[in-house]
Amino acid sequence: MEEFDSVVIGAGHAGCEAALALSRTGNKTLLLTISLDAIAFLACNPSIGGTAKGQLVSEIDALGGEMGIIADKTALQIRMLNRGKGPAVQSLRVQSDKNAYHSEMKKVLENEPNIFIRQGEVVSVEIDGEKKIVTTNLGLKYLAKSVVFATGVYLKSEIIIGETRESTGPNGFKNSSSLSDCFMKLGLKLMRFKTGTPVRLHARSADFSKMEEQLGDEEGLNFSMMTEGVIENKASCYLTYTTPLTHEIIRQNLDKAPAISGEIKGVGPRYCPSIETKVVRFADRERHQLFLEPEALDTQELYLQGFSTSMPADLQKEMVKSVIGLENAEIMRDAYAIEYDCIEPTQLKPTLELKTIPGLFFAGQINGTSGYEEAGAQGIIAGINANLFNKNLPQLILKRSDAYIGVLIDDIVTKGTNEPYRMMTSRAEYRLLLRQDNADMRLTEIGRKVGLVSDERYEKYQKKCKKIEEIEQILQKKVKVDEKMAALFEENGENLPKENMRYCDLLKRTNIDIYKIEKAYSLFGDKFDKRLLDYVNTKIKYEGYIKQQKEEIDKMLANEKITIPEDFDYMSIKGIRMEAREKLSQIKPLNLGQASRISGVSPADISVLSILVKKRKI
Amino acid sequence: MQEDTIVSIATPIGKGAISIIRMSGKESLEIALKVFFAKNLKKNNIIPRKMYFGDFKLENNAFEQCLMVFFKNPFSYTGEDVVEFQIHGGVLIAQKVLERCISAGAKMAEPGEFSKRAFINGKITLDKAEAIIGEINAESEGELLSSLQVTNGKLAEKILSAQEDIKLLLAELEVGMDYPDETEETKLKEDVFFRLEEIRKKIDEIIENSKNSKYLHNGINVALIGRTNVGKSSVMNALLGEERAIVTDIQGTTRDQIQGSYFFEGIKINLVDTAGIRETTEKVESIGIEKSKKSLETADVVLFILDGSENMSADDERVLKLLKEKKTNFIVVINKIDKPRKIVNFENEIEISALKSENIEKLKKKIYENVIKNEIDFNKLVLTNERQYEILKEADKKLKKLIEKEIKSETLDVLSIQLKAIWQILGKITGKTENEDIIDLIFSKFCLGK
Repeated sequence: MEEFDSVVIGAGHAGCEAALALSRTGNKTLLLTISLDAIAFLACNPSIGGTAKGQLVSEIDALGGEMGIIADKTALQIRMLNRGKGPAVQSLRVQSDKNAYHSEMKKVLENEPNIFIRQGEVVSVEIDGEKKIVTTNLGLKYLAKSVVFATGVYLKSEIIIGETRESTGPNGFKNSSSLSDCFMKLGLKLMRFKTGTPVRLHARSADFSKMEEQLGDEEGLNFSMMTEGVIENKASCYLTYTTPLTHEIIRQNLDKAPAISGEIKGVGPRYCPSIETKVVRFADRERHQLFLEPEALDTQELYLQGFSTSMPADLQKEMVKSVIGLENAEIMRDAYAIEYDCIEPTQLKPTLELKTIPGLFFAGQINGTSGYEEAGAQGIIAGINANLFNKNLPQLILKRSDAYIGVLIDDIVTKGTNEPYRMMTSRAEYRLLLRQDNADMRLTEIGRKVGLVSDERYEKYQKKCKKIEEIEQILQKKVKVDEKMAALFEENGENLPKENMRYCDLLKRTNIDIYKIEKAYSLFGDKFDKRLLDYVNTKIKYEGYIKQQKEEIDKMLANEKITIPEDFDYMSIKGIRMEAREKLSQIKPLNLGQASRISGVSPADISVLSILVKKRKI
Repeated sequence: MQEDTIVSIATPIGKGAISIIRMSGKESLEIALKVFFAKNLKKNNIIPRKMYFGDFKLENNAFEQCLMVFFKNPFSYTGEDVVEFQIHGGVLIAQKVLERCISAGAKMAEPGEFSKRAFINGKITLDKAEAIIGEINAESEGELLSSLQVTNGKLAEKILSAQEDIKLLLAELEVGMDYPDETEETKLKEDVFFRLEEIRKKIDEIIENSKNSKYLHNGINVALIGRTNVGKSSVMNALLGEERAIVTDIQGTTRDQIQGSYFFEGIKINLVDTAGIRETTEKVESIGIEKSKKSLETADVVLFILDGSENMSADDERVLKLLKEKKTNFIVVINKIDKPRKIVNFENEIEISALKSENIEKLKKKIYENVIKNEIDFNKLVLTNERQYEILKEADKKLKKLIEKEIKSETLDVLSIQLKAIWQILGKITGKTENEDIIDLIFSKFCLGK
């Protein structure tokens, strides 16, 4: 039997990051996938990033992951979202060339000396003492210390279009028919989730003159620290709308909508409803906005964002043709809903390792999440921890105050999820600290410690730190109250100070930013990248609020430090309500902080628990 | 369940003829039998819940007669072994008994620790714990009534509704940030402003309703001020109806602030006598004068006492100037009207004779009405708990900052974080977002020993 350090099952966005993290930390890694053509496949929208997801990509990058690099390399258009709403919620989004994304990631994997890519469907994983035996449908068996499950939406997946229900994976790929059964045998609890994807159209059939063109941003933006040069905007998106006719067609045919008729039983995401759900739920809206996005440079296919549906194919055609500018639309691929098995993520530790069986890690949609970025984020953590497991080293857990990745994993393993979990900025309580512009400041040292940050990346990071220090030092200098300052303050409607200040004090005025200071005093010249100036600007302007959040974090961490023994007997605690006892027994929180976030566990329960835990330690 | 055996004085200090000292914990009986001796009483023959009469042996080998009861776990307030001593006498003897228990091995209880243990051992629920705070402190009828209302949840309902409004607004802000393609930003900010004002109105209403609750709880603090020898101590005694201060004709004998309380319309009125104010070089007295000035700041109303049988003196003028400088809320009390009146008339004055007990009831009414502007309507939503009142004021303060300042200068990400903080602040009352620190705070509000 061929032996590996680790086997990664699935080569989607989670599997790729996991395999790379394992390989780059010196593990001989087998990457099994149902189809080599499905590696890093952008199965739904051809875009990476977006609100909160952009932060995840930056965090993956800061830890030494690949997603940001490939997203930059294959970008067709790049935009910064939420510019006006404050630095905490600004997020990058790229339109990606989905074909290039797949082939670029595949290339990276192929060039990794420790990764062995193999097409094959895994049918079972057995535990043999410390080792795991992975068996494929063709009877091939592999031995490994640890296994990362990153099977996405392939478990017993079914594609639903109208009355047609087919047992297949996304986009016509084969699905995985027996791995779910193997999970059941291992004692895992499964859930059935649903998601969907809209139609793809031929570009020649769209009348763009009736739509609003959406261009990318012109300034040099990118996800990855490793990206050199500026990302060019190579393609546009187009904004259009549904019409009353669209809504009428849908209303007339609701009996044919599987999502509404009850044909689909899987739980779908509230944040990404099908067009028929939107029409029913928001009956008073006269129109819904839709975006046409390019799928890739070497194809005419367009993705119709906002138009996901599981209506019968003939109706889909009618519906699409009622959209402004799509009167002559040629559909190339039908929209579909997909149902699939996933595991209840509360069965995992915050390391993404299964609580009941050491050495089995889970990442991505199999954990009930949705999105490429969420998958990649879990993938890199699962990979890092599988490596640490192989080497018998302490596991890595990112805290809620460290990263969106920490929030994501803590949420799913502590609270579970009853719909496909999507990252949102509002889930992060410390988001003024978890910005996209400081992801490397937060995580690169951690990535370096676990062996994922290359020398090249680390050098770049250190240079960046130095430059930031320089800027901050310049801003520490005193500045006189003189005519120049008077002019600057006058122009920006600020009251002139009586005493001399430092430049950084000027920055704290509401209407003055680093660029206005630069314009007036020419402190920096062209010595510094705009992004570095932005970073310092944010850091100083939001100092008060950042301090406030840091204080909250300190309070939170106090509880996070009180660990609870794994064998703690919750059921015997008298002072805690039965519901809370059951929840605690099920989740087995690592510490008091995690316990306090379990739904159904009240602060009073935590108060009692804290005393008992402290008492047990004496 | 707990390691330590704790002890404290369970009865309000300085009130009543009997004090109860309570011990709770594994070793409470053992400790008790080291210091308490009754005929034939031994550890193995003690009957729970039976009252024993015997001697308590103090540090200096002096004996104090007292009663002792043992409660065997889990049939006690805390659910642990509990011993209670009932002793005669005032503060001093209770203190000595307490100290002896500590030297015999008990630990001084933290504020609220008995109730915390009761809660941990499943004797009381958190809701009940909250309610107990009110009941423990309910020294007058009014408090108890409105405390019950709080536990009935009417008020929580009202605050919940404000919290709900914030939640809704928050959700909208968050959606705008998580789905930038689907919202118009400028409109949002304007909308936020108006809705914040609406929420603030709701909270202000509760605060306004609850202003009196502070008095329900802590009583009204009344400071007596005046130059020496106008009869301050006599006025205080007349109000208290008992001899609390030394009444003498020698100037400057009342150097310490003497406190006493009486009840009026169910509200506790706390009196603070102050040293007479006059120009002095005597050190002890000038300290007293400093204290007098301080008590002016903490008083809800000040009684400016004048001798009606004399003309305004320079010292009287000095006091009046001080009151006006400090913008104090004061009532002019013209004392000694049993003698012919010489003093000028004042706008907000009342004539009394402390000596002859004339107009004392009128004065009591005037004090009450001066502070309690509106009739206390116990059917209204009133916060009875100082903690809750402070929480609401904190939320209000943050809302004010948000509405008046931050909404203009800050971006939406910051605004929503600040709004969330307010939501969490209100959650401290509604119980939606409590954490360990707050639980500790609740318990520290418990009266020792209950």
